[in-house]
Amino acid sequence: MLEALLQGLVAVLQWNALSFMLIGVAVGFWVGLLPGLGGATTLALLLPFVYNMAPVQAFAFLLGMHSVTATTGDITSILFGIPGEGTTAASILDGHAMAKKGEAGRALGASLMSSLIGALVGALALALAIPVVRPLVLTFGSPELFMVAILGIASIASLSGRGPRGMVRGFLAGCLGLFFSAVGSDPQAANLRYTFGTLYLWEGLGLVPVLVGFFAIPEIVDLAVRGTSIAGKASVGRISGVLEGVKDVFRHFWLTIRCSLVGTWIGVLPGLGGAVAQWMAYAHAVQSAKDATYRERFGKGDVRGVIGPGAANNSKEGGDLIPTVAFGVPGSSSMAILLGGFFLVGLVPGPDMLTKHLSVTFSMVWTIILANIITVAASFAFLNRLAGLTAIRASLLIPFLLLLVFLGAYTNNNNIGDLVVMLSFGMLGYFMVRYRWPRAPLVLGLVLGDIAERYLWISTARYGTSWLGRPAVLILIFLTVLAAASPFIQERRSRRKEALRAA
Amino acid sequence: MRRVTAFLLAGLLLILLTPAYAQQPTFAGKTVTIIVGYAPGGGYDRMARMVAKYLPKYLAGNPTVIVQNLPGANSIIAANNVYNVAKPDGLTIGAFNRNLVLGQLVKVEGMRFDMTKFAWIGSTSNETTVLAIRSDLPYRTVADLVKADPALFIGATGPGANTYDFPLLLRAFLKLNLKIISGYPSSSDIMLAIERKELDGRAGSYSSIKPFIDRGLVRPIMRARASVPAIARLPVDEDLAPSETARAVMALRSVPEVIGRPFVAPPGTPPELVRAIREAFDKVTKDREFLAEAAAAGFDIEFVNGDEALKITLGVLTAPPDVVRIFQQFFKFE
Repeated sequence: MLEALLQGLVAVLQWNALSFMLIGVAVGFWVGLLPGLGGATTLALLLPFVYNMAPVQAFAFLLGMHSVTATTGDITSILFGIPGEGTTAASILDGHAMAKKGEAGRALGASLMSSLIGALVGALALALAIPVVRPLVLTFGSPELFMVAILGIASIASLSGRGPRGMVRGFLAGCLGLFFSAVGSDPQAANLRYTFGTLYLWEGLGLVPVLVGFFAIPEIVDLAVRGTSIAGKASVGRISGVLEGVKDVFRHFWLTIRCSLVGTWIGVLPGLGGAVAQWMAYAHAVQSAKDATYRERFGKGDVRGVIGPGAANNSKEGGDLIPTVAFGVPGSSSMAILLGGFFLVGLVPGPDMLTKHLSVTFSMVWTIILANIITVAASFAFLNRLAGLTAIRASLLIPFLLLLVFLGAYTNNNNIGDLVVMLSFGMLGYFMVRYRWPRAPLVLGLVLGDIAERYLWISTARYGTSWLGRPAVLILIFLTVLAAASPFIQERRSRRKEALRAA
Repeated sequence: MRRVTAFLLAGLLLILLTPAYAQQPTFAGKTVTIIVGYAPGGGYDRMARMVAKYLPKYLAGNPTVIVQNLPGANSIIAANNVYNVAKPDGLTIGAFNRNLVLGQLVKVEGMRFDMTKFAWIGSTSNETTVLAIRSDLPYRTVADLVKADPALFIGATGPGANTYDFPLLLRAFLKLNLKIISGYPSSSDIMLAIERKELDGRAGSYSSIKPFIDRGLVRPIMRARASVPAIARLPVDEDLAPSETARAVMALRSVPEVIGRPFVAPPGTPPELVRAIREAFDKVTKDREFLAEAAAAGFDIEFVNGDEALKITLGVLTAPPDVVRIFQQFFKFE
């Protein structure tokens, strides 16, 4: 095994593989920065080029591209409040809030560092999981997938505001999200729901136009109204801010590791989709706040809200690869496309990848590691310039941002409907911000609703009610109760602390 | 004034010369766009991109060929666009869902095209549907599956896909003891559920199940009409049909699979251009490099010419009303 590990490294470091990886990284860098154009689509576009490559070169090229999109996607999310990727929207909540406080440098530093650690954890998990991958993936059946979705939905409690009023608003926003997830042709009987006679809505609301509109439009309106730069009057933190952000990651090192593990785990479970990991990690970061006063800082520019999703959306990559490599079953839509790459270079994913082609598998581990190190290092070089963008005045920035927003939304389906969805959710997002309704629960409901619906149906059709007694399901039910109760526990802790202080 | 006259004359000359040109259409300096009805990465998209890579070699003038994705509504949006918006100048080719013709048969709302009026180029590959069950189960033949007890759990994505429609008809007409569990996000999720014994088997295209057959996880039991040599000996559903109506309904479901990767041009595309594109497609599907790449990607290439594809399409749309009525009870296009 060690030998294969080294062989993998040597293979990646050969000049042709390395140069393909660098090309991939360069492409991925821009794909991540630009909203709309996502990693999965780009994989599909690059696929025809790998036909004549050796396996290690092909994966260095494809994975090198794909594994850095989440890293640079975070940059756009933080600087402009526009999700660079569908998988980096959660970084906006606290990351962009920090940028508005003039802490863009710090947020970027934290995000890049946590991305790097996340990528390393994910790659390590991929390497370590190789001997135990079969039981790891196979213990998770449809009932467990349903419960994971419910666990995520239960986290809405933590993402809502404080007090009964905040709770009710969070709950309603979550319900609205679940409702939006029902739009389109239903997964079991293919009945059309809420499509209003349009063809566009058959496949449901596209996540990219929804997220781009929902998060970016309110920020752009806010920027236009303020008329200043993004960072406003606050002076933009220079290099010290970046270093501070890096230090933040080590200050919250265990949180970084835990969120990386959350990301890896979500990645391992096929069928949960790429957008879920970041939100679960964000919810976890909020839940791990010591008490309610700590919790209140989230959404207003708490660095932990940047670290959590930053780590998870990168560690997901290694996790995603586990079922893909071991079973030929892709862990996400991107991996489904990567699977085509396996066949093109003459490899059959499955048990052979863990024995005969083990060095190729390890070359993927190394590709993820090297590509992320290169990207993070390159980004650090530009970081001050990037943070400086938040000091540009609104009138110059807004046309550019609007262009990004419209293009980003339109790439979803190349349909005018994409723009309508983007603008509608932009309006909804604006009013939610204006009247202080939390937006995260809505997104959580939207990304998890479809998964919960599918797997509840499948579990019941397959097992009747007996699935409720499966051990893993019971553990997940317990965790769900904990997640739902966590804000109340935090509230009690803070009350006790206040009582102590008063006494 | 003289310059204007010269201009007009030149224009007139150009117009006069155009038909002469049209005898041997050239695509030099032009861009041919293949509009795919699905997002990048799926089977239709991958096929179109592979064709786009080799097509310039065989079209006169070696034009640029690009792929544009227009996903949505199972490719109805793309078909509407190619039918109603795209110019019939030979520079637009559509690659759509093979089942659009069945959608037209059951009169799905929102379809603003007639499949028989497209200028058919042909299909590059067929779609072979097989039913495969876990190898560790004791069942080996169709008769075994009729007697199977308890019912076998068959995973499916949803109505309108062969993972769902094929076993549905097998259960209804051949009395196979199957319970269909639908709603899995993709066929690979079904495969994983089979691996963890949540499911007993699935139907689907042979090319996607083949790696798992080779690995010994599942074994194929029967197939639909469209075939490739490797599975030619499996029993065919239609041959076992208990009645003529049942056979006709099954046939209706599988006919589009014979033209599994259809390519069409907008209605009214000049015949000489259609002929040129057809010839180019024919040559591409015989190109050795293309065949090697397609084989690596898991496609079995078999070009069905546009005339033949159109005939098959007409055949579907002229099915007897009583057959269509029964078919409608099982088939849902959405």
